Amino acid sequence: MSQFIAGYLPLFDLYLLHLGLAFSQYIVLRAGVFSLATAAFAGIGAYTAGIFAVNLGLHPVLGLAAGTLTGMGAALFLSIPLARLRGVYQAIATVAFIQIVVSLNIYSESLTGGAMGLNAIPKTVGTGVLLIAAVAATYLVWSIEKGRLGRAFDAIRQDEAVAASLGISITWHQALAFAISGALAGLFGGLEAYHSYALDPNQFGFHLLITVLSYVILGGRNSVAGPLIGTAILIILPELARPLAENRLIIYGIMLIVVINYLPKGIADTAIDTIRARRLKRREAAA
Amino acid sequence: MLSIDTLKVHYSGIQALRGVSLEVTKGETVALIGPNGAGKSSLLNTISGLVKPNSGNVVFEDTAITGAAPWAVTKTGILQVPEGRRVFAEMTVLENLQVGQTALHGREPTYGLDDVFRVFPILQERREQMAGSLSGGQQQMLVIGRGLMGGPRLLLLDEPSLGLAPVIIAQVFSALSELKQQGLTILLVEQNAHLALTASDRAYVLEQGQIVKSGASADLREDPEVAALYLGQG
Repeated sequence: MSQFIAGYLPLFDLYLLHLGLAFSQYIVLRAGVFSLATAAFAGIGAYTAGIFAVNLGLHPVLGLAAGTLTGMGAALFLSIPLARLRGVYQAIATVAFIQIVVSLNIYSESLTGGAMGLNAIPKTVGTGVLLIAAVAATYLVWSIEKGRLGRAFDAIRQDEAVAASLGISITWHQALAFAISGALAGLFGGLEAYHSYALDPNQFGFHLLITVLSYVILGGRNSVAGPLIGTAILIILPELARPLAENRLIIYGIMLIVVINYLPKGIADTAIDTIRARRLKRREAAA
Repeated sequence: MLSIDTLKVHYSGIQALRGVSLEVTKGETVALIGPNGAGKSSLLNTISGLVKPNSGNVVFEDTAITGAAPWAVTKTGILQVPEGRRVFAEMTVLENLQVGQTALHGREPTYGLDDVFRVFPILQERREQMAGSLSGGQQQMLVIGRGLMGGPRLLLLDEPSLGLAPVIIAQVFSALSELKQQGLTILLVEQNAHLALTASDRAYVLEQGQIVKSGASADLREDPEVAALYLGQG
């Protein structure tokens, strides 16, 4: 039994790490910002944390705090030009931002180790720390969602002009969503750095963007359960499909296409809607 | 209460308002009538801050709000009920009403949930339902209710009759007259001139971005030109 658990522990660690990134992506989409910059914020947080440990020899707690803050700072900085853009233009700008961060990590060799990556980072983060961070992130997102802030985000996403006319400041709320997104990605990037011994600049590029976005699309964009379920499915799936060897990615693609077509709200949100509709119908029948 | 002075607005070369001046006094219902594209909605959107004017002044109770951000305008107590029943479709009726409270910004509410439910009882019945699943009339009642939750001192109403069945329009307008009797000040934009002139104390006629006529609604109803152009008589 313990051997079985040990065998799947790396997978569980990956789930916890990516869950934080999924929430980072989720929270901006929730506020109606089509930003895909999570991968870049994670890269910034990871490299900051890595440099704190390797070059400066500082305590991991300091490194994680620095990673969180730089992720948040970068997000706030990016939110200024992005406030003038909408929809797909925001997406394009954030993809460009990811490329810039990847390039910076490759070219500032003296600081980041360049294309060779940042190596020999002491492993100070285990499953326990990841679990605490993931639970904290889930709780943060859940409490935002239940509160007034979440409702303001929903209003902005559903009808920006009406939200504005009801007294919700669009710029302020979207900057706030960005800051939370950047802080989450920075923190989990930092955790990644302290969990995996080494960082490679390309690990925070386009591939990570697609991976993280898929979690949210597959799981659902309108409830905290979405990223929880989407990330779980897409992390477990490649393991289950192991017998298919190289064809594993085909399963991944097919699954996304099927979900986007038949459950456009994502698996968790569709389930929640169905349950809610059924409960309402039962209550009406009783009344 | 609200005073607008030679307001001019143009979007990318198209002149929407060519120097509009008007006044709304506390407790009045003032109607703004005119054909499609006359600039009625542009005027409301400029007051609420969604559109920035090129020149002119908007003053609300001695505070200049010309070109202020929409959220700052709501702070003064000006609340806009947008055209086209724009509910938050993926929220419940109750959640829509709660979002409306954002506009209070710490001010005392003038209408609570109970007050809104008294004016529109159907909303209480449907409060757990998704707003997107309501009928058109119920959605119109919901957007008005949502506006009331923000503690309006001046309510800007954009085309509340648009696309509704006559019996529903009658319900909506009887609710408006109830609100008026409670002392609410309303600036009403309405294409249905007959309805607007019946529900209001005074009215302005807006054509091609300019006020061409104004006066007591009762007088405008008798005005031969208004009757011919807007009331379909003559």
